[in-house]
Amino acid sequence: MTDTTTRFRRMKDLPSTHLLGTGTPMCAGCGGLEALHEIYDVLGEKTVFVNAAGCMTLLSVYPFTPFRGSWLYTAMASAPAGAQGIRDALDILREKKGLPPEEDLEVVVLTGDGAAYGMGLSATSGAMERDLDFIYICYDNEGYGNTGQQYSGATPHAARTATSKGAHGFAGYKKDLFSIWAAHRPAYVATVIGSEPLDLARKIETARSLKGPRMIISLAPCPTGWDYDPRDSVDIGKLAVKTGVWPLKEYRDGRVLHTKVPHERLPVEEYLKKQGRFAHLFEPERDETLLDELQAKVDVYWSSVELQGG
Amino acid sequence: MYRIRFHGRGGQGMKTASRILGSAFFEAGYEVQDAPRYGAERRGAPIFAYVRAAREPINERGIIQHPDLVIVADDTLVPVPASGVLAGVSACTVLLINSTEAADVWQHRLNISGPIITLPVAAEVEDRADLPYIGATCAGAAAQLIGVIPQQALIHAIETELGGLGSAVVERNLENALAAYELVAPHHGLASEGAAPHAQDYERPDWADLPLETARISAPTIYAAANSIEVRTGLWRTLRPVIDYSRCNRCWWVCSTFCPDGAIAVSADGQPQIDYDHCKGCMVCVAQCPPHAIAAIPEHQAQAEESQLAGTTGDPP
Amino acid sequence: MSRTLLTGNGAAAWGARLAHADYIPAFPITPQTEIIETLAQWIDTGQMDSRLVTLESEHSMITAAGGAAATGVRVFSATSSQGLLYAMEMLYTVAGWRTPFVLVNVSRGLSAPITLEADHNDVMAARDCGFLQLHCATCQEVLDNTLIAYRLAEDERVRLPVIVNLDGFYLSFTREPVIIPDPQETTAFVGPFNPASIHFRASAPESQAVAVLGGAPYSYFRYELHLAAQNALSVYDEIRAEFRETFGRDYPAVDAYHAEDAELVFVMLGSFATKARAAVDQLREAGWSIGLVQPHLLRPFPEPLLQQLLAGKRGVAVIDQNLSMGKGGVLHTELAAALYGHPDAPPVLASFIGGLGGRDITAEEFFEIARVLRDAVSAGRAPLPRLLYTRDELLEIRKLQAVAHVERKELGKTT
Repeated sequence: MTDTTTRFRRMKDLPSTHLLGTGTPMCAGCGGLEALHEIYDVLGEKTVFVNAAGCMTLLSVYPFTPFRGSWLYTAMASAPAGAQGIRDALDILREKKGLPPEEDLEVVVLTGDGAAYGMGLSATSGAMERDLDFIYICYDNEGYGNTGQQYSGATPHAARTATSKGAHGFAGYKKDLFSIWAAHRPAYVATVIGSEPLDLARKIETARSLKGPRMIISLAPCPTGWDYDPRDSVDIGKLAVKTGVWPLKEYRDGRVLHTKVPHERLPVEEYLKKQGRFAHLFEPERDETLLDELQAKVDVYWSSVELQGG
Repeated sequence: MYRIRFHGRGGQGMKTASRILGSAFFEAGYEVQDAPRYGAERRGAPIFAYVRAAREPINERGIIQHPDLVIVADDTLVPVPASGVLAGVSACTVLLINSTEAADVWQHRLNISGPIITLPVAAEVEDRADLPYIGATCAGAAAQLIGVIPQQALIHAIETELGGLGSAVVERNLENALAAYELVAPHHGLASEGAAPHAQDYERPDWADLPLETARISAPTIYAAANSIEVRTGLWRTLRPVIDYSRCNRCWWVCSTFCPDGAIAVSADGQPQIDYDHCKGCMVCVAQCPPHAIAAIPEHQAQAEESQLAGTTGDPP
Repeated sequence: MSRTLLTGNGAAAWGARLAHADYIPAFPITPQTEIIETLAQWIDTGQMDSRLVTLESEHSMITAAGGAAATGVRVFSATSSQGLLYAMEMLYTVAGWRTPFVLVNVSRGLSAPITLEADHNDVMAARDCGFLQLHCATCQEVLDNTLIAYRLAEDERVRLPVIVNLDGFYLSFTREPVIIPDPQETTAFVGPFNPASIHFRASAPESQAVAVLGGAPYSYFRYELHLAAQNALSVYDEIRAEFRETFGRDYPAVDAYHAEDAELVFVMLGSFATKARAAVDQLREAGWSIGLVQPHLLRPFPEPLLQQLLAGKRGVAVIDQNLSMGKGGVLHTELAAALYGHPDAPPVLASFIGGLGGRDITAEEFFEIARVLRDAVSAGRAPLPRLLYTRDELLEIRKLQAVAHVERKELGKTT
């Protein structure tokens, strides 16, 4: 559980004014942008964001940037290596060239799931193994969103994407990136979602208080890629948590803790049926086999959590 | 320009030899180029290194085609074609062989007219891969044969090149290098500078036009299985494992299981047989054999015994 | 100042040390590895005040190099061959960031078939990326050019990363006498890195390397990079003059050896150019009117100088240690473009491909190239491009093919 000394005890402790500039080209209702602006409020402007190719590359399109701090776009595979170069350079400037501490920056990698789960995984693993002092934020909209939502390593079973349009959707299963990251034993790993801002703020606050690799995955409901009305973004996010599809948890000191356990879990189909990408599970007729399978996977996950005591 | 080639096995210090000689030349006021030739730089495998030295800046590069002096640290390499010891050797080339056999034996065997000198250092050691200080020894002999390198330059070169390894190592290398330097003193200055190739009168390269060939044959594809057995890695061996069958207890073929090269076959009745064409001489079998039934014999000694049995002399196994 | 025997790799490491590189992102690859091993040892023993970090790939290595340079520290890195190609996306990217740093490339042939030995296809593949390229022929040049490269990269009229290229094996593992200049003089020559506008600081937010939408702004940024690269030609001459005055060694953008009064000219890059130099000496002794033109700078391409040096020549033989598949030698192509339409352009521009994957070029082959060139001049037409490859070498590959179970009946006939 996050620190009891948190400055985020209740919703009213959340910031009411926001740092991230408006005017970005992100889609209306973007769940990733919602999470990012909540995160940015906690991280603050003494940050340099190191970005990998994805939707959010378009946050800074010449001559506009929404960041009050700094930004560097790298490439799809190597944002953590860019963070390495900047962090090392800042350390060298502090140690050798008299850069005052107040000029230092928190180095923050910002990537989508395409980079985080796939092409960039080797660079992320390398940064963790080198114990790089940085924060990594993955906005996970479960597909290559910026190119029109083809399936990625983060796409859930049965979801329809631009490259899995068959009767049963995506045949593969979502990769467990949280566990892959945690296996590196970094300082911190957490899942968050913009629709749970208090949980998110506490975790970012925790991440800020630590040194070393601090890894955050935010599920990013995506009206464009998941095919739903933008107004439903927060509701879908809340359902992801209440149905148990998106467990909110954190890894620290070798232990995994669930920060919000949905004891009365809603049926998974409550989450699925709100999204066009799962419509084939309900129409023209219900695909009971697949629905049962999806529910069973969530149930198995949570029973293992209960067995391990939360 | 002096063009010198050192031939030895991986682990015998030919790079060190070339660097000591290079430094000694440099010390003596010469322009120098020295380099090892990497590739299969595995312990025991044939490798070479080379040195060029001249009073003028050196513009030649790469492998020495026409050496003035060839030094062979290990005489078992001479008859191995893959080692390239004799490549480009002419009547003007001085050949220095570290060998227990006399120079005239080599002269006769190799049927070459250029001078051959032997250095009987090999006699002292069992495992040729561990020829002690052979790099410094070869460099010392080479310095004397070239004749333009003062003893002091050789000493300084050894101190420069090996200083990082401590004074005891430097001391032992100096002893050996200077002993070799003295030993070949009667041949002082025997190796002389070769000329540059003539632009007027040269052997024209026989260039070929490459024909277009189908991808099936012109792609780097091997249409065969396990044909690496055609490569006789047994030539790398400086120690030979020999099984004493009276002590072999036909165990669960420990030697065969652990042999990294799979070079020990086991017969139906459990008897191991070492494939000497491919055994590289790592001695894992010697170390692992439960009843200690495998002995390590110096390869050159084993070969000498074999050729005596066969009634011939000096042919490779 | 001391004169000592150094390998090309050792000279590159000395260059980084004398330039006071603050940061060294690294990744091992043959034949470069000795450079980072040497630097790591100096750092570990306190002889060099720098930080070396081994990344998990060359792609990451160049990203970290660019990231650190973009933050305002002096960066050195080194790679070779497959590593350079693995980093290729980031070579284009960090050049676009306009981050100044120095990358040593130890040239090695490219896969497939994979090999360890030298040719220039790796560095040629990087010729369009925005890195400037200095090509070295000796170990001394490797050290000196590394120092010059920092000046060139960091000059505000240029501000681009620079590749210093040396040949694998022929320079990387070969020792030659190298003057290690006096550290006070090199420190004064290279000067401190003045990052000016290049930084990430809390008090001065910057968004670097942002996206653009639309071809017009894109064209602007890219063409500006090109202009900066071209501008490096005159900046290079200034730096070179200062280097010559300080250290007494001169590296013109294009070196000419007995070329002024020659009728025939070899054109070559890199360490094998010294072999061409030796051949020129021998040919001149035999009465030939021949010289060598050897570009040090490949990017920017020193076009005016090449036009000037080759004007009025009767025949030029370009010996490329690279091969653009389906076209031929890259230097030959670029030279043809530079000379086209020029009033005094040589009538015969012959192409030879040699030294691929470490294959030697013998003195006799240089003599033969001269002979072929002279005959072509007499006949008034350029010969067909020629691969330096002998009948014996063809017989040798036939033997290998037999081992590889290639069927004889499929083999072509040579002419």
